[in-house]
Formats: sequence, structure tokens, C-alpha cells
Amino acid sequence: MLWYKAWLETRGRFLVSLCAISIIIAFFVHHAEHVITPEPKRETYFLLFFVHHYLAGLWILSVVLLGMGGLLRERAIGTSSLTLALPVSRTRVVGVQIALGILEAILLAVLPWSVILFTTDLAGRTFPASQAVFYILLLISGGLVYFALAVLISSLIEGEYTAPAVVYGLVVLSGIIFSSVDSLRPYADLWRFMGGDNYFNHVTYLLSGPFPWFGALTALVVAALMLLASVAVIQKREF
Amino acid sequence: MIDGPVIQTRSLTKSYGRLDAVRDLDLSVGANRITAFLGRNGAGKSTTIKLLLGMIHATSGDASVLGARIGESKESREMLRRVAYVAENKPLYPYMTVAQMIRFVSSFYPDWRPDAAERLMKEYELPADRKVKSLSKGMRTKLALLLAFARRPDLLILDEPSEGLDPVGIEHLLQHLVAQSADGISVFFSSHQIAEVERIADHVCILDKGRLLVDASLDDLRESYRRIDLVFPSIPLEHEFRMAGVERIETSGRQIRIFSSRNSRTVVQRAYELNAVSVEVTPVALRDIFLETVREN
Amino acid sequence: MLLRLNPVAGQPIYLQLMQQIRHAAETGALKDGDQLPSVRSLAEKLVVSPNTVVKAYSELEHEGLIELRQGSGAFATLKRRTRSLTDHMQAARRRIRDLIERLHDDGLLDDEIRRAFEAELLHTAESVARR
Repeated sequence: MLWYKAWLETRGRFLVSLCAISIIIAFFVHHAEHVITPEPKRETYFLLFFVHHYLAGLWILSVVLLGMGGLLRERAIGTSSLTLALPVSRTRVVGVQIALGILEAILLAVLPWSVILFTTDLAGRTFPASQAVFYILLLISGGLVYFALAVLISSLIEGEYTAPAVVYGLVVLSGIIFSSVDSLRPYADLWRFMGGDNYFNHVTYLLSGPFPWFGALTALVVAALMLLASVAVIQKREF
Repeated sequence: MIDGPVIQTRSLTKSYGRLDAVRDLDLSVGANRITAFLGRNGAGKSTTIKLLLGMIHATSGDASVLGARIGESKESREMLRRVAYVAENKPLYPYMTVAQMIRFVSSFYPDWRPDAAERLMKEYELPADRKVKSLSKGMRTKLALLLAFARRPDLLILDEPSEGLDPVGIEHLLQHLVAQSADGISVFFSSHQIAEVERIADHVCILDKGRLLVDASLDDLRESYRRIDLVFPSIPLEHEFRMAGVERIETSGRQIRIFSSRNSRTVVQRAYELNAVSVEVTPVALRDIFLETVREN
Repeated sequence: MLLRLNPVAGQPIYLQLMQQIRHAAETGALKDGDQLPSVRSLAEKLVVSPNTVVKAYSELEHEGLIELRQGSGAFATLKRRTRSLTDHMQAARRRIRDLIERLHDDGLLDDEIRRAFEAELLHTAESVARR
């Protein structure tokens, strides 16, 4: 029932994020009418690239929200005495919250792309599904770093508004660092990585080349380390 | 029925910087009885309970509950399955409905009794589909208690259970605690309401400034604490009465008032030896035992 | 059985309970063979610990006033010894009544009489212990 509880806790945030993302999709669908034709067209691919960037931005904002809450928040509102009296380990409680958050994050990446594929399908799909998969994998593997950051910060900072403010601040800070520090570009630049800028072919307007498994793995390892750190923090905490 | 103490601590200490919330606690709570944990606000009762349940980590010493050492481990988790706990603030998840809360909590405990839950739902008049955040304070308290009472744990721990209840609610609470005890459940509750404790407790532990000052059965306390009022023909010598068991001596002219925790017979004997004109021995209510104990500390 | 307990009195509740049950037996409110309430129901009704009731019942059984039958409950067994005890008790009550009347005539108040009894009982018990 821990999953059920975690779902009840996050479903509001999840649905709000889904709504916001739907707006982006609606925008795409509206513009797609002009651009989608049976034959492959560069304008279509550019639209996809463009939409993906907005999607990525919104997705980062959403997964930060999904990473909020947790046991520290429960301590602030007084329910930690109930949760921690349950015959389950703290690791399990935090683990379920993290796992559900990741699932929701994946859904928030997959669902909009599914809609995009479906819409273009109606008009006779003009781009390969593998493009969608490329975009999704880039988004998730790079972006889970931000989710993990949110989980870590919310295990350290208790305030209902302070914690997300700090994470959003760090998100913006990271963006600034990525865009101004030249030596980080192009490969250590997380935003370019997630957005697909590094793999965007300026001739075909498609994402091309082999999928950057190494980069993806590195980002996931960083995320995993932050998540493990947050579990360790919760273990040591006094409630 | 359980053998051995349900709670046992050995030099349990919890310090926050230089302040000792709990100091060198040697507590032993027997099974199959109702034990009350008395103390002022800030005496360390809640801290002790949280230490026992693993929510706070001890600075030194150790403890075991139902034979399982406290601390994060499979052993202590399994122990939690046999313990029902209601925290002082009667916590509930505000976003769940009454029915969801019951479904959630019951899923963790094989000792859950659905018939008892249903009976209590009716008795407390709890609306199944109302969200916790829309419940009144009294109803929230009742739901929090239901989640513990609808089980058959080995140990029931309650932190200030009557907080927030009106007199009728308190009466029902005490009846439920007595019923739980009759079912073989060991009850350990902290309180600063002396009246409740005096009615149902078998055993009393008094905590003050983190130290255990009294640890005795309530009947023993009733049988041994005495207030002895003496009048002498001339001003008596106080030091004549400084003997074992005498906690406090008050003099006013030819009158002496002695507060003794035991050995009152010896005090009376000495009084007669010193030709006391008047000897009055009265029992002491728990409230006064508590106030005296805490005052002396 | 209607019982009355005073938790603040300083006297262990199980002793008060025993006295009340003995009193019921003396006055005939409790007759030989009558069943007493179960431990659980009496505890819940009086809002006292079940251990208190258990203690009272087992002490009364020890005195021969009641009998605890496995599985059925507690029953009053007012044997002849107990009955003669009851007679003694009634005679004692009469004597005490007379004494109290005389002490009242001497000008003593109820509280003073009560305290004097308590002190004397303690003194007697202690001198018995010394002997």
C-alpha cells in the first residue's frame, strides 16, 4: 500500500504537469496541420525539435515537483510518526517514493511523444518512430539528474516552498553554467544533451548518429548517486 | 501472554548538545499490565517513546521492545508489526479518506480485526468517505485511536492519548484501554493527567528532566506513601525524623508534617517515643506523590 | 451488583473492591451461588485495570468468599465460616456504631474519629510487628 500512498501524494502534481504538457502538444497539433505531409519534410522535423525543447523545459519543471515531499515533509506536517511506526524500513518508504516518481517522470516523457506519433500517424507518418525514441531516451536519461536533485534537496531542506525554490534555483544555475562555460560544451552540457542539440543534423533536421549510451549512462549514474545519498540522509535523520 | 518485560532500557541516554532529554534510563515495563508513564511537559516521555520506536537515535545505552533491540534492522521492523502506536498529535494523512486510512493501515498488520474496526466506526460515527482534512479534531483523534484499537498487538503504546478529547471521549478511551488489557495486550501510555492514571494504571513510572524517579506498582505507592501530621508538647527536633523513606519534613512551631514514601510505621513509633500529642496518618493521592517527587528533583 | 470505587482515596482499588464485595455478601445483596461479573466486564464497567479485578477476585477466593470456576466465571460461596464472619462483622459494626455515637457525644468530628482509627491501626500493627 506504500505505492498507493505515494500515488495519492503525487497524483495532483502529476496531473497538473500532464495538463501543462498537453498545452504544448496542442500547440504542436495545431501547427502540424500545415507542416505534416505524406512526404518527408524538413519543416516537420524542425517542428519536432522545437516542440521537444519546450517539452524538455516543462518536463524538468515537472519532475522537480515530483521529487518533492518525502519523509522530511511528513515530519513538518506531523505524519512521520505514523509512517515511521509502520513495519517497513525507511529505505523501502523512500525507495517506493523514488520509484513511483521515476515512473511518473517516464510517463510524462512517453505520453506526449505517443500523442505526437499518433497525430502524425493520422496524417500518414512522415518520420520514423525511432526519432521519438531517441528524443525520449535523451530526455529521460539526462533529466533524471534533476529529479534526483529534487529528491536529495527535499531530504535536506524541510520548507514546503524553500525546497522547490532551492532546486529550481539550482536548475537555473546549471543552465547558466552550461551556456557560459565553453569547455563544458558540447558534451558535458546537460541541456544540449537532453534537447538533442548535439545530435541534430543540420541537413536532414533529424537526430542522427548512434545513440550516446556512454553519456546517458554517466548521467544516470550521477542521478543514482544522488538518490542513494538521499536514502542515506533519511536513514540518519531524527524524526 | 508474553514472558519477560515488553520494554527494557539500559542506561538509555539522548542528548541534544548539552541538554539531556533522557538520561541514563533504566526502564522495565512488565507484560500483561497497564503501565503509565507520568511526567511534566518536556520531561522526556515522548523522546523515550520515539527512541523505543526507532524514530530518534540514542546517544548511548540500549533498549529492547518485545525482545527486539531498537535500531534499524529486520528484527526491529518485525517488532513494529506487533506494536500499535498512537503519537501525541494523532497523525493521519490529510489527503486520504477514512476508508482509505483504514485500508492503508490494515494492510501492514496481520493482527487487524475487521469486525472491531467496523464496530468502532459505528461507535465513533466516522463517515467512511470523508477526507481526513475535513474531519473535526475530535473525529481525527477517534480515527487515530481506531487504527490502534482495531488490532490485537502485543504492545500498545500511546503518547498523551486523552489530549484533545472531551470528558465523554476520555471515559470511552479509558474503557477501551481496559478492554485491550483484558484481551492480553500490554498497555504503555504517557500522560500528565493524573486522574486517568490513578483509575486504570497497574504500574507507574515517573519521569522528570529525563530521569526516572519512581518506578513502582500503583498499589505499592498507595500502600507505602503516607502523610504524617504530628503535634508535640514542645518544639520538636527535625533531625529526629530524618530517616529512610522520609522525603520531606515541614515544621511550623510545634507541628511537624512528614511526607514519607515508606517506613511510616517507624516514623510513627519515633513520634510516640518523643511523646507526640497528636499523630495523624493519612494516605497520599497520586497527584501529591507526583508533585512531591517532581518538586524534590 | 452496584459498586463504588474511589481511586484517589489512597487505598488500593483492589482492596476497595474486596470490601465492597464483602459488604454485598454481608447485606445479602450477594447470595450464595450468585455469579459475579466476569473480570473483563467488571473492569470495563468500573473503568479499572483488569489486573485489579483479578487481584480482588483471587484474594476473595483465598478468603473463601468466592470460587473461581475454570471457564464459567466467579461465583459467591458463602460458606458457614464466611457466614459466621458475616455475623462477627455485623456485631462489630454495631459496636463501632455505639462507639462513634459516644465519641460524637464527646464532641469529636467524623474526620477526627477517622484519623484516630487510622493512626491506632498503624500503631497496633507496628507493635504487633515488634512483638
